[in-house]
Amino acid sequence: MKKVLGVALGILTAIGGFVDIGDLVTNAVVGSRFGLSLVWVVALGVVGICLFASMAGRVAAVSGRATFEIIRERLGPKAAGANLVASFAINLLTLTAEIGGIALALHLVSSVEPRLWIPVAALAVWLVLWRVKFQVMENVAGLMGLLLVGFGVALFLLGPDWGELMRQAVPPSPPSTEHPAAYWYYAVALFGAAMTPYEVFFFSSGAVEERWTAKDLTMNRANVLIGFPLGGLLSVAIAACAAVVLLPAGIEVSSLSQIVLPVAQAGGVLLLALVIIGIVAATFGAALETALSSGYSLAQYLGWSWGKFRRPARAARFHVTMVVAILLGVGILMTSVDPIAVTEMSVVFSAVALPLTYVPILVVANDPQYMGCHVNGRVVNALGTVYLVIVVVAAVAAIPLMIATGAGS
Amino acid sequence: MRVTRWRWVARGAVAATVLAGTASCTVASHQEPGQASAAVADALSQAGSAAETTRIVVAQLSRGRLTGPMADTALLDQLRVLDDAETALTTLVPPDTTSSDQRAAGLAAVGDVTDVVVSTREWDAARAGGDLGGAAAVPPSADALLADLEKATGAVDRALALAGGP
Repeated sequence: MKKVLGVALGILTAIGGFVDIGDLVTNAVVGSRFGLSLVWVVALGVVGICLFASMAGRVAAVSGRATFEIIRERLGPKAAGANLVASFAINLLTLTAEIGGIALALHLVSSVEPRLWIPVAALAVWLVLWRVKFQVMENVAGLMGLLLVGFGVALFLLGPDWGELMRQAVPPSPPSTEHPAAYWYYAVALFGAAMTPYEVFFFSSGAVEERWTAKDLTMNRANVLIGFPLGGLLSVAIAACAAVVLLPAGIEVSSLSQIVLPVAQAGGVLLLALVIIGIVAATFGAALETALSSGYSLAQYLGWSWGKFRRPARAARFHVTMVVAILLGVGILMTSVDPIAVTEMSVVFSAVALPLTYVPILVVANDPQYMGCHVNGRVVNALGTVYLVIVVVAAVAAIPLMIATGAGS
Repeated sequence: MRVTRWRWVARGAVAATVLAGTASCTVASHQEPGQASAAVADALSQAGSAAETTRIVVAQLSRGRLTGPMADTALLDQLRVLDDAETALTTLVPPDTTSSDQRAAGLAAVGDVTDVVVSTREWDAARAGGDLGGAAAVPPSADALLADLEKATGAVDRALALAGGP
């Protein structure tokens, strides 16, 4: 019974923890411009993140070591160093976007300038990282993030023309009012939002934090294969709400306040309040995960003592790294840069950095020296290879598409 | 010897890239008419989006489905969008009289929408019991605001049609 409850809790936190500010903004922007014609990218991204997160979790559970330790050992310090620089930069950009997301959500309920909320949000993130246990932190943020189900409820209350939504989704093609390059730019952004690199670092390091062993592989699979697809449905609900309310009105999403308007229209103040709590929880949880991922990647590469299972004094450099990352994020946001613009950049650059994260995991998951009898099977390897091609194509296309479309404008 | 030549080629390529990049960042002194019309249409579609967002905010606020602070935040966000649209139009250098007329119509339409969004914020503040409660300039009802928005949206649509937009 205890095991079943553990699996259920893992699945629920995986659902609630799936959506972050990148998913929220990108899905709403896409829904308001392209309807559901890009829903196939969400499905593609969900399968991809399931594949790579389960591989990363398996590597951590079987070897007892986290991703970056093995990447450095397996690929050597130079290749791993390049990987570290790119991953850390993307992590920092994502952390900045998440802290900005918390501030925007608080701005929405209070009408107080977001720049006043940014230091408050950053301080809260640091305090939780410093004081709260890993499991409590992960479960509370994940479970509260489940309130984003409100977008799904809103979609049903809006009573959309389901046939029209299906026609938008199948067969997928850009609307006649949009340029195909913009369509593909947002396809890459949506893919980057679903497969952000920090999720894999956090997942594999979290497995070490929670002392997973090969016996926990079933729970790992259940969390990933059930939790992430259900989380992906939340992403689709966000896009569908925008497609039903904002697209027909010709509204171009540029702020968080527009993203929640369909929820207000459908369910009024109560549903809106629940969804905003969900947004704060989801962005807060993602801020914790990205800050931890910054500490994990640097500490694991440099061989420092790391982990929340150790007291901060026993992993001082790991904690200092997280503090520095948070301060850098705050510094970027204090320049008055638009957090929504930072979010849009972060998902595109996540797509650029994807191969650096996924190639080493695929290599290590096939290495019997680390994995013993738990190396990838044929099906997983075939899927992994297909995804490797997709990931590389997305990474190569991201920046040219960004330049050609003026970042999708 | 070959290494030196390659080094010079590489330096030349870097210099040419920097030069091209810098040149593309300079302020345009001349635009093609089509480019100017597209820029006007772009700014107007932002203004149209702001007007539609304001319409939803007014409708939901009057039905009690949105709180005052949330509505205020949404309206402030739209004022920023309108500010960007106005900046895009005021910094445009029209290449001919047609583009100049399109810009003038665009600026007037963006101004109309901005006026209604400002009035909506006043109405929101008055509803919340602010000092504006008795002010004559505050629109009396949501219906009056929606009618003003309808007029402003019409102006945006006409300006958009003039600029060759959808």
